[in-house]
Amino acid sequence: MWKKLHSLTPLSTNLLHRGSASVPYPSATTADPFSSEITSKRSSLSQFSSLLLSPPQFQIEGNYSYSFHSPPSSRVFQTPRLHSGLHGLNSGFFCSIASSPAANSKCWNCNAVASSAVPFLVCHGCRSVQPPDPSIDYFQILGVEKKYDVKVENLEGKYKDWQKKLHPDLVHTKSKKERDFAAEQSARVTDAYRTLSDTLSRAVYLLKLEGLEVDEEGRISDPELLAEIMEIREAVEEAAETQALNHIQAQIWKKLEHWSKSFADAFQSRKYEEAISSIQRMTYYKRANEEIIKKL
Amino acid sequence: MLRNVANRLVGTFSRPAGAPATGAVLQLQRLYHERVVDHYDNPRNVGAFDKTDPTVGTGLVGAPACGDVMKLQIKVDEETGKITDACFKTFGCGSAIASSSVATEWVKGKQMEEVLTIKNTEIAKHLSLPPVKLHCSMLAEDAIKAAVKDYEAKRAKENGSAEAPLEKAADA
Repeated sequence: MWKKLHSLTPLSTNLLHRGSASVPYPSATTADPFSSEITSKRSSLSQFSSLLLSPPQFQIEGNYSYSFHSPPSSRVFQTPRLHSGLHGLNSGFFCSIASSPAANSKCWNCNAVASSAVPFLVCHGCRSVQPPDPSIDYFQILGVEKKYDVKVENLEGKYKDWQKKLHPDLVHTKSKKERDFAAEQSARVTDAYRTLSDTLSRAVYLLKLEGLEVDEEGRISDPELLAEIMEIREAVEEAAETQALNHIQAQIWKKLEHWSKSFADAFQSRKYEEAISSIQRMTYYKRANEEIIKKL
Repeated sequence: MLRNVANRLVGTFSRPAGAPATGAVLQLQRLYHERVVDHYDNPRNVGAFDKTDPTVGTGLVGAPACGDVMKLQIKVDEETGKITDACFKTFGCGSAIASSSVATEWVKGKQMEEVLTIKNTEIAKHLSLPPVKLHCSMLAEDAIKAAVKDYEAKRAKENGSAEAPLEKAADA
């Protein structure tokens, strides 16, 4: 039984991460060997249903024995993906591969079907905390439209609403499994709130959803940009009084606003090269701003 | 500030359960290596040369992911092609500062062709840089190459205009 799940999980996690260039999962070609397994599995549907109703078997113990294809660095994320893989197993897998797992998810506790209106973090029927589903993006969690122009005031309310239901401090009476779910979900909601509240991280996240991740090792030699940044950083370093620093800061804020708008336009028109270079500039200005804040 | 920086580095060492045995060694070396700290506390060759000086090559590189910017300058003896002096100015983490500092130390007294063979892996090894900071040494290698390239470009421009009328030579 374990072996079947072992081989099936990569397929379901592929479902959840299509379009994400950064995820080091096996390529689509490895999915083919599963298709013959799939047809034979369909006959034993009841087996899987019973598995899903008693998830404790494959949740906590021996999770790390499932680190099949992923490199050690992503082992931290094995647990949530395994859980969400099971959701995909139940819904997206047998119904139609293309459908969103979140919409057809069922509660592990009471089997209630998730409604597509609200992200399935907590069951509306029995109030059980669900395992985190990576296919639900931060915009869905906080109930805002997936775009760059977000009203930060709208985020806080939803964030607090979720924490009232998910925060680990509020689930003392529940099972260990559910408390673990709550810890992960709560952390994810906090990540969502932090990422979407800040303009730069929101921009980076939007590109990530399009499959474009920041290259941590990338280097540039654009003389004009670098000379400008060098000048700004030197000015900050040499600034003697608060007034001088405030003056530089005001200039930086103007530039941040300009490039923020530039990103919005570029992203809107799907000009991803421009979007990336806008983000790069914003990152430089933000660093400079942080240095000013340290000095003030 | 170094404490902040050191704390930040400590934060980057995530400790997943079931990590291989080498993780245990990493856990002990959670701070910057003493050589990095040394370069940070006792900066050597920090400064700037005159960009317009024909014997000076300026390399300006950046790592946009972390907002780092690194400037490395070399002073070259025109006759021998030997690098007589070098200086740097880096805005970034301790590893980036140390990498560029080491780079300026290593290029001094060497031929330009020779410094082009300096590899980022040598710098990283010298400073015992962790994997997450390897790009800092790459940046330093890039800076060396950019400085040499800049000097050669300046030289070529100068040589080119030496054959042209005198007014153009005055502009170079």
